[in-house]
Amino acid sequence: MTTERDSSPYVQVENLVARYGNRTILDGVSCSARRGEITVILGGSGSGKTTLLRHIVGLLTPAAGRVLIDGRDIHRASEEEQEAILRNVGMSFQGGALFNSMTLEENIALPIIEHAHANRETAYTLARMKLALVGLERAAQSLPAEISGGMKKRAAVARALALDPGLLLFDELSAGLDPVTARELDELVLRLKAQFDVAILVVTHELSSIQMIADRAIMLHAGKVLAAGTLDEVRSMDHPHVRAFFDRRPRSTVVQHGLLDALLVDGGDHGENPA
Amino acid sequence: MLTNNHISGALALAPLREQVLKRAEPGSRVVVNLSGVQKLSGLDAAALLRLVIEGKEKGIEVRFSGLSAEARQAFTGLDASLLEHAATPTESLSPIEEVGEQTLDLLATARRLLEMIGEITYWFFIAPWHGKGVKWERTGEQIVKIGLDGVPIVSFLSFLIGAVLALNAASQLRQFGASIYIANLVGVSMTREMAPLLTAIIAAGRSGSAITAELGTMVVSEEIDAMRTMALSPGRFLLLPRVLALLCAVPCLTVLSNLAGIFGGYWVGVIVLGLGSRNYLQQTSQALLISDLVTGMVKSTMFALLIGLVSCYRGFYVHGGAEGVGTNTTASVVTSIVLCILADAVFTTIFFYFD
Ligand SMILES: Nc1ncnc2c1ncn2[C@@H]1O[C@H](COP(=O)(O)OP(=O)(O)O)[C@@H](O)[C@H]1O
Ligand SMILES: [Mg+2]
Repeated sequence: MTTERDSSPYVQVENLVARYGNRTILDGVSCSARRGEITVILGGSGSGKTTLLRHIVGLLTPAAGRVLIDGRDIHRASEEEQEAILRNVGMSFQGGALFNSMTLEENIALPIIEHAHANRETAYTLARMKLALVGLERAAQSLPAEISGGMKKRAAVARALALDPGLLLFDELSAGLDPVTARELDELVLRLKAQFDVAILVVTHELSSIQMIADRAIMLHAGKVLAAGTLDEVRSMDHPHVRAFFDRRPRSTVVQHGLLDALLVDGGDHGENPA
Repeated sequence: MLTNNHISGALALAPLREQVLKRAEPGSRVVVNLSGVQKLSGLDAAALLRLVIEGKEKGIEVRFSGLSAEARQAFTGLDASLLEHAATPTESLSPIEEVGEQTLDLLATARRLLEMIGEITYWFFIAPWHGKGVKWERTGEQIVKIGLDGVPIVSFLSFLIGAVLALNAASQLRQFGASIYIANLVGVSMTREMAPLLTAIIAAGRSGSAITAELGTMVVSEEIDAMRTMALSPGRFLLLPRVLALLCAVPCLTVLSNLAGIFGGYWVGVIVLGLGSRNYLQQTSQALLISDLVTGMVKSTMFALLIGLVSCYRGFYVHGGAEGVGTNTTASVVTSIVLCILADAVFTTIFFYFD
């Protein structure tokens, strides 16, 4: 049982094509994530990381390709099947996306009441347990507006855990936070991996957090998967964009120069080798 | 074409922006010669990119020439998305394409609206049979918010309107010694027309706008998406309770408005004009027909539905972040009021011919 589960990925994205209008954002992306592993999605801003996550959870419908979660195609599932799939998925959004009109415990109790058909008391007890898991038991009665950015992210993680899902997706969990808070969140993700049997997909571009948490990495660039594999494999690749990312040369100057050229009529006075 | 407007030394961005955006024709191309500029700060570079983007919105293609290697660095330090946004070519549409585009927009709006109506209908009529009942608790909260909180303003304004109707009528009717007919006029105009419309306008302004703003904010902060990923349908949890609450609260407020308006007329008739209190009330009850009351209630229900659909739609399809919430909220109120008055006109015309 365990071995079978380990060998087949929990999430499988196959040749996903994503478009907004006639702009193609993802052009044949394939990737996967396994239980018990943290898979990190890398890529510059605007490379389509969020778009990929939104397709995985069925918020967007792919132009082509498919997404299998635990072997079931989320985009072709019936309404009930989709609900069953989603009950097994927890996602935290870039900005937290907590329900602003509800306290933290209400935020987490809501999905529990609706899906686990628990009574209010049980649901709130469970909600407080999830909050304790992320170190927020004292803020259970706070409204999202009353807590800090780092706490919001943690509360969003707690809500993603509400139904004990098999798949967790975290969009830019540690982005825009101070280093200490960011580190706490990384530690939290590692703890979740150790405690639960989940597949975890994390979008990030913080090098320190990649180094700390990633088992596998997928790098998106220009709509394609530029690199995929274990962290060490990806890290040691020679591709200039991968190198630019890991060696942290001024952020993808190659791309920037290319874009800038489109705005020049005479090609400008090229500094021969854009460093 | 404004080529070679040489800029020397420090970059004077404000005049440049003025010159480009105000003077250049849409559809033209402006080349800004930067060869005189040695050093460019990151801020200047960002402003130049913004100029390109602003130009793009107006159909002006802004390009640069003579960029020195040094000045170039200022651009590459910027956020890639800004540069990307500036560098993607404008898809300028021919007039025919534009008409086509607008038709498609209209079709898309119609489709989304129908989808929304379908969803609300589903959650009300069908889902309860599959164990997914209506969220009465949430609906109740909304009824309180829309109905109870609307009581003071609806009664106050209706009272005033009733009184004003009575005063206006008095100046005419007094000449014929028919002052008592004020009761008829106030009663019938309030119940058939003024109360439903006044209540609808207040509901659109107070509650419709609140609904749009609230839903819009939830869209912008990704709360709606978060709900969907938890397999909680926004149709069931957000839309249906609001529409139901309006359908319940607005007709109730209309009843209140009727009473307050008639009381306004009574107050003018009895206190100001000295008509007998018993007389006035008797006259009112004689004047009012059940059909007047029913007509008013039917209208009011129709208005509630319109306000509910418009405000939910506007909230749900917000574009452009927090700013979009603002514009959509205004649009929600205006659209609701316009549609209510239009519907009122159509409805009244139909009743005029078939009554
Ligand atoms: N709703 C949308 N409509 C149109 N374009 C979008 C939308 N959302 C994102 N995009 C565009 O798609 C690209 C990828 O966006 P996103 O997936 O958010 O990138 P990332 O999360 O990697 O920063 C960006 O260029 C962005 O402008
Ligand atoms: Mg993103």
